[in-house]
Amino acid sequence: MSAQSRRNFLKLSGGAFALGSFAGAPAFAQSPPVKIGVLAARSGVLASIGECALATVQWWADGVNKAGGILGRKVELVVEEEGNPKETAERSRKLALRDNVEMVTGLISTGSGLSVGPIAEELKTIWMSWDATTQKDVEETLPNPKYSFRSTDNEVEGLMASLLTVKHFKGKIKTVANLGTDYSYGRNMWETFMAMMKKYDMGVTPVADLWVKVGTTDLTTFVASLQQAKPDLIMSSLLFTDAFIFVKQAHAAGLTGASKLVMPAGGFQLNEMKKQYTPEGMILGHNSMYFEAPNASPLLKEFVAYYKGKTGLFPHFEADRAYSAVASWKAGVEKAAQQTSGKWPSKDEIIKAIEGISVESLGGTFSYRPDHIPDCNFYMGFTTHNNPYDIVTISPVETLNTRDYQKPAGADFFKWIQAKQFPNLS
Amino acid sequence: MLASANILVGGVFHAAVLFLVAAGLQIVFGVQKIVNLACGSFYALGAYFGISALAWAAAFEVPAIAYIPILVGSGLLLAIVLGPSVERLLRLIYDRDEHFQILLTFALVLIFEDAIRLIWGAVPLQTINVYFAFGELRIARDLAIPNYNLIVIGAAALISAAFGWMLRRTRFGRIVRATAENKQMSEALCVDVSKVYMAVFTLGVALGTVGGALVVPAGAASIDMGVELIVDAFAVVIIGGLGSMPGALIGALIVGFVRSAAIWLYPEFELLAIYVIVITVLIVRPQGLLARTA
Amino acid sequence: MTTSTAPIAARTASAGTLKRALALPALLFLVIFLFPFIAGPHYVILMFSAMGYAIALLGLNLLFGYTGLLSLGHAMFLAIGAYTAGYMTSTRITNFELILLVAVAIGATVAVPIGLLCIRYVKIYFAMLTLAFSMLLYSFLFKFYHLTGGDEGIRIKAPTLTAWDLSGLDTLSVLTGPLYYYVFALLVLLTALMRCLTGSSLGLQLRAIRENQQKAEYLGVNVKRYRLVAFVIAAVYGVLGGVIIAIPVGLADPTIAYWVQSGNLIFMLLLGGYTNFLGPLLGAVVFIFFQDQLMSFTEYWRLTFGVILVMIVIFFPNGLMAALDRRRWWST
Repeated sequence: MSAQSRRNFLKLSGGAFALGSFAGAPAFAQSPPVKIGVLAARSGVLASIGECALATVQWWADGVNKAGGILGRKVELVVEEEGNPKETAERSRKLALRDNVEMVTGLISTGSGLSVGPIAEELKTIWMSWDATTQKDVEETLPNPKYSFRSTDNEVEGLMASLLTVKHFKGKIKTVANLGTDYSYGRNMWETFMAMMKKYDMGVTPVADLWVKVGTTDLTTFVASLQQAKPDLIMSSLLFTDAFIFVKQAHAAGLTGASKLVMPAGGFQLNEMKKQYTPEGMILGHNSMYFEAPNASPLLKEFVAYYKGKTGLFPHFEADRAYSAVASWKAGVEKAAQQTSGKWPSKDEIIKAIEGISVESLGGTFSYRPDHIPDCNFYMGFTTHNNPYDIVTISPVETLNTRDYQKPAGADFFKWIQAKQFPNLS
Repeated sequence: MLASANILVGGVFHAAVLFLVAAGLQIVFGVQKIVNLACGSFYALGAYFGISALAWAAAFEVPAIAYIPILVGSGLLLAIVLGPSVERLLRLIYDRDEHFQILLTFALVLIFEDAIRLIWGAVPLQTINVYFAFGELRIARDLAIPNYNLIVIGAAALISAAFGWMLRRTRFGRIVRATAENKQMSEALCVDVSKVYMAVFTLGVALGTVGGALVVPAGAASIDMGVELIVDAFAVVIIGGLGSMPGALIGALIVGFVRSAAIWLYPEFELLAIYVIVITVLIVRPQGLLARTA
Repeated sequence: MTTSTAPIAARTASAGTLKRALALPALLFLVIFLFPFIAGPHYVILMFSAMGYAIALLGLNLLFGYTGLLSLGHAMFLAIGAYTAGYMTSTRITNFELILLVAVAIGATVAVPIGLLCIRYVKIYFAMLTLAFSMLLYSFLFKFYHLTGGDEGIRIKAPTLTAWDLSGLDTLSVLTGPLYYYVFALLVLLTALMRCLTGSSLGLQLRAIRENQQKAEYLGVNVKRYRLVAFVIAAVYGVLGGVIIAIPVGLADPTIAYWVQSGNLIFMLLLGGYTNFLGPLLGAVVFIFFQDQLMSFTEYWRLTFGVILVMIVIFFPNGLMAALDRRRWWST
């Protein structure tokens, strides 16, 4: 056999062999799988948050594959761990350079976001972030991200909590206290809250300004300090294990009876906000997803049932942050493919398609603005014991949309708050 | 003014927890000259295992008075299982440079961190029946101290007293002290040093696990609780003096109070205050405030 | 354990043994030199990071291997290096040489008072004191966010080189190209420097102090001074390593100074072999690459590392170099 015919023979037999081995497999066996990198926190304080988000992405991927994949390609997740910024930077490079993933999704902590963002931009990796967004991020490091799609501003939930406070407590409170989580997020929350109190002439004075180190499991001294200060209202940005430990210890010491409580991000710990010690009438925020939203979509119901069955717990809102990220990307791919007659679109085409796209996420309609920051629903309300569970739920559920409550592209946050006329709450 | 009482109790509560863990560090160092970096890990394991024990007991609807014994018992059980095995591992390098012993315990920190995640998962766990089961001490209309806090403080005090009594009054205590002072002499006097080491190490582990188990009802168990605590525990033993049990008590009280005071008065310095005190003590009186001589 | 310095031994040994002795380090350096041509970019950046760790470990080896002082806070110097790079590049001073120089100056300045305090104590106390100082720095970096950026840290922008025009090159090309070789040259230089130091009378004095402090004192060795010198040199190497490690990350943040990171440094050193001169380099490379593979393989990589460390401590305390180099030519 001549060299050429040998080559042809090998090509043909190779092709035939490949076809043959895939015979009987589902339709997407012809195309290579689409690899998606997932950067999920698995240790430390972020572990339970990352776990929920990862489980959500896996559920999404399973669902997508059952329905035939994306443009006929099977979704394959490559999971890496989000650790400290150095480790996370390394893993993100590995996903982009060695695994050649089509897209990276994940990240919760700001530090990691600040190191991965520029890497994603430089390596031209589409990054669908779950969280990891701050003011500083937007201003300094990535003012005009092309490949990175961020999460909503941290300040949104602080803003909503403030508005609820104004609506229900104006004239009823004179003193406030801060029990902040001691890192950038907590500071953002408190600054937002106080700016709003000032804007609406609430006439409140802060009588305590406390900061809880991340990872603290004993808050008895903080409780005692707050009791000393006797605030009418406590604004607490605690969101990790310390969130529910605080409520537990505060209840035991009598603080929850004396002071009103506002926890904009307490919904992270919804499974641990037990009726036993969590008071009614506390403002509790659930960010972009509340498992019992009044007009819950079939999608949400299905997911909640799945998650509860698998883990015994209700999902917290990080599930929605993860779902909306990957679902938007998929929708972007499919939308871009309409222009490329079914061929897998380029990254630039996908990015263009995601900008302005709208998908149905667990928390309702979710869309990305042209500046790559999302618009979605936020859920918050007063806690109640009136439910069949051992945890508190919120009722009535205030559903607000970031279109009215998130600062527009390029605006200075505090200037914007001053000038903005927020629509009245229902 | 009354709220200050609450802050005081808060400080003592924190100190009680620290004392138990630090005491575990002390006894092991005092006798075996090993600095156990994994003492925080035993504390965390005790917390998780305590929650599991209570969950298991809840199926049998045990009365509230049984909670404390169950917690203490679970801590002891865990210590009896873990202590000897870990000690046997350390035994392999007793004759080596003490740096290696520290590093071995560091390896244990890494192992236990993942082991906890493997067994109990990443979601924080808590037990909700125990903390409120014992009522409270009502100081004013909106001011109360849960009796559980007082029980924990009392338990720590009891354990501390029992330890002191054990070391001073019992034969075993005398043997332990003798071995700590002069290992070779004790061996010459027919003391089975390896048995003493095993017992002492297990005792040290038990202090950590029982401490973790007792504290967990007031808070929760999270996977990094051990790694965080080690720095505090070190601060306690440095301030009090390595190897000194009364030193652990004084050190714990100082750290507990400084923490509370800082949170109350100067929150910015809460984190730094402890380290500054540690460094000051190490400079001014490196053997610690109450160190044993020699 | 102590062998004579290289030149003396060379006179007594055959040329063949000398060749064999130089073979391993030469091979290692050759592999690292050729690495950008044989490995993919992700791995090249890992090697970049490993070189940074190797430099830091050279210093730590001087402190631990030669002087017998176990520092559980060495990560603080890596942090100082990282934050120096952060502050300087944030104020648009991106010249790499300048960053290194300033970092060295700051590192040495900080190391002297801390060293003066710490070297008075040995063993446990030294370890605990260094741990306390590094956690103090960690807390400071975290708490005083107006100065340090808090948990968000300080961004590190890509550095520029004096002798090489990097404009037009993206960060990846820089890290796998010009800057890689620059750091490689630095590594070779610093390794040679360390070899000279340990081969000189300084090395001899330090070893004498480690073996028997009292005897050394009787022999007229100023224990405190030599320990301080070792501490400061170790700090300077640490700071240099810290700058290099932080550049691919693009961020200086407090977690760099956390005590577990110091533990990892010792782990790497032990892995490579602290009684051995090449230990730091080998330990850094093996650790970094192994961690990379392991993290993708299992989520319980900490457990695996812990078990490996246990094995090393118990069965292979002299690390890989001892296992590889049976002739023990390079061991001290």
